Amino acid sequence: MKRTATVFTAIAMLVQPVVGQAASFTGRVTLPDGRPAYGAMVTVFDADGERRQTVYTAADGSYAIRTPYAGKLNVRGRLSGFKDDTVEQQASAGGSARVNVSLGTFASLGEMNETLSASAFNARLPWPNLKRDRPAFVSQCNYCHQMGNGWTRIPRDHEQWIGEVEKMENMLAMQSQAQGRVIAETLWKGFDGKPFQASQSYGANPELARAKVREWLVGDGYTFIHDADVADDGLLYGTDEGHDILWVLDRETGKIEQYKLPDIDLPRGGIFSGMKLPIGQFTGKHGPHSMAQTSDGRIWITNALSSTLMNFDPRTKAFKTYQVGHDALYPHTIRVDKNDIVWFTIVASNQIGRFDPKTEQMTVMRLPSNGVLRWVTDQLFPTLMRIGSWFPDQAVHLNLSTHRFFGEQILAFPYGIDVNPVDGSIWYAKLYASKIGRIDSKTMEVKEWDTPMLGPRRPRFDANGIFWIPAFDSGGLMRFDPKTEKFETYRIPAVGKYEYETPYALNVDRKTGQVWMAANNSDRIIRFDPASKAFFTYPSPTRVTVLRDFSFTEDGQVCSSSSNMPAAAIEDGRPSFICIEPEGGAADRTALGS
Amino acid sequence: MPTVKRPGSARLLATAILILGLLIGYLGLSANGYLVPAVVAVLMAALLWLGKAGRLFMVVTLVNLFSGTLLVLVLAFGDVLGTHKLDVSGVSLLINLVTGGPAVALVAPALLLGLRRGKPLHSWFNPAPRAA
Repeated sequence: MKRTATVFTAIAMLVQPVVGQAASFTGRVTLPDGRPAYGAMVTVFDADGERRQTVYTAADGSYAIRTPYAGKLNVRGRLSGFKDDTVEQQASAGGSARVNVSLGTFASLGEMNETLSASAFNARLPWPNLKRDRPAFVSQCNYCHQMGNGWTRIPRDHEQWIGEVEKMENMLAMQSQAQGRVIAETLWKGFDGKPFQASQSYGANPELARAKVREWLVGDGYTFIHDADVADDGLLYGTDEGHDILWVLDRETGKIEQYKLPDIDLPRGGIFSGMKLPIGQFTGKHGPHSMAQTSDGRIWITNALSSTLMNFDPRTKAFKTYQVGHDALYPHTIRVDKNDIVWFTIVASNQIGRFDPKTEQMTVMRLPSNGVLRWVTDQLFPTLMRIGSWFPDQAVHLNLSTHRFFGEQILAFPYGIDVNPVDGSIWYAKLYASKIGRIDSKTMEVKEWDTPMLGPRRPRFDANGIFWIPAFDSGGLMRFDPKTEKFETYRIPAVGKYEYETPYALNVDRKTGQVWMAANNSDRIIRFDPASKAFFTYPSPTRVTVLRDFSFTEDGQVCSSSSNMPAAAIEDGRPSFICIEPEGGAADRTALGS
Repeated sequence: MPTVKRPGSARLLATAILILGLLIGYLGLSANGYLVPAVVAVLMAALLWLGKAGRLFMVVTLVNLFSGTLLVLVLAFGDVLGTHKLDVSGVSLLINLVTGGPAVALVAPALLLGLRRGKPLHSWFNPAPRAA
């Protein structure tokens, strides 16, 4: 055994110059009592602090990481429940160093609380009636950002919380007035700033030590990269919904470019100019949201605020815009079928868009309204939004919206969409109506099913035509077999007592069959293995991690964008592109002979 | 004072408008834009009950019905209006609301039928002068 290890070490040392061009680190992470820290994150920051890479420790506390960085680098050890330890290390390109990290103990309960994820804080909120009152909070307040992170849990008095709830309504949160009052009162009582005992466990496991995470910071505290997508050129594209920018990352060089979307004859906020969109956060008119690529290389973008469809040609860097029309309100998630037809959901007007890039023909179909109340909203909501635009930045039209009485139930909200690889049919999830639906791509016939868990958000198909659906409001994962029309449900394990999870999106790696999910309440990414029906947790190296869509690289990395709103609330104060390499840590260990 | 006895249709329709107006007013406690049609509906119910301001009542009812009908038609078939579709529907909606909204619109056909010359409602708003 010892001999084998020696041989491996010798091979690794021979290989090192080849894998070189990088500062490599090996070492051990220990707990304050000297025991090995299992599942701890070891993060190496580049000299500018713009990029970083992270691996996880094995059961013996060991780690090994290769990075492309050189210079004065910081190596940070982090594990839930312990104080970070950061070691500064001068490193040369191709150099290798052994750095041991000792996690510390917190000086106070308050200091420990600062390291907890938002889920620990919102789990403590004193709802008058948990079953009755919390669902609206999960649905509407956890919608685009964490509630309970350092930014959102600042103690406020009752009036200030009422103001905050109203501010969110002005940005399209759909809580009723009664729900808003309960939410404001509960946040006032719950986010009191008093330290509390809590423990969180992210479930260390051998799989974790095989993984590696890469992060690239982008933009500033107001950059809002809603979705990220890996294109066939290997580059990572990100849509900045607030500033009408397409960000492009070259993962190999770390170079980041940005392309400004063409102007349009609309005011700031586009057709949503009547809303009170925060000025720093939303300076644009288009609101680029989601992306998908056709076989000719063009990247198709849904522009949520201008209700347009746009394409970007990566070769010419040119954009072209198409009006969606038909009262479309908020084009959302977009996918491309095998015939290069572009499909997208239109959330706020309960429609599906279909665009044929060859003929440039746009078709918009209305989905079933799911009840009289939603039918009325489907008919009138676009009109209300137009009335609002006559009074920019005042949100006066909300005074006529029935959501103030009925809450988000006035909308069906077709949200995520995907193409069944088996038969080419188009499937969508209605977030508020808690339904999934199938559209026959030839006849356009629609059939819907109620989901057993609430809040189906951004679903995806696996290679075998199984529909995997994240249940945002219920904190679960659903599996739907279109052949048997049967659901299976799985509750996502929380990281602490009474905590819950908010799975925003998922994607299925069609090579491995693994389901990758966002877990936006607790700063982690989750992998579900359908064969063993087991969840694996990958803690995010960065506090306040909110991910909205996943995309896979050719070499099996799982990429997304960290897009809490606002980005200023993220630990770095800025958003990032993030990629998880499931076997990256193992590769580094092998290369470094660790 | 009117010279005729308050007809049953005035009682019935005024009560209907009042109830619908109060329902809309209840909605308006949350979405206060609906307080406008609620108040207008209550006033319309009062005019109908009292048999006062028949010409104004008639005009408001007609405008309400016209704007409501236009709203429905534009929403259903207005794509030909292109980008102006929502402008037309928006104006129609606002006009409909300031003339009583759905509280008046739902009973407007019955009101207008009743307000034809020779019908009890017409007589109720236009009482014959009392003989000297």
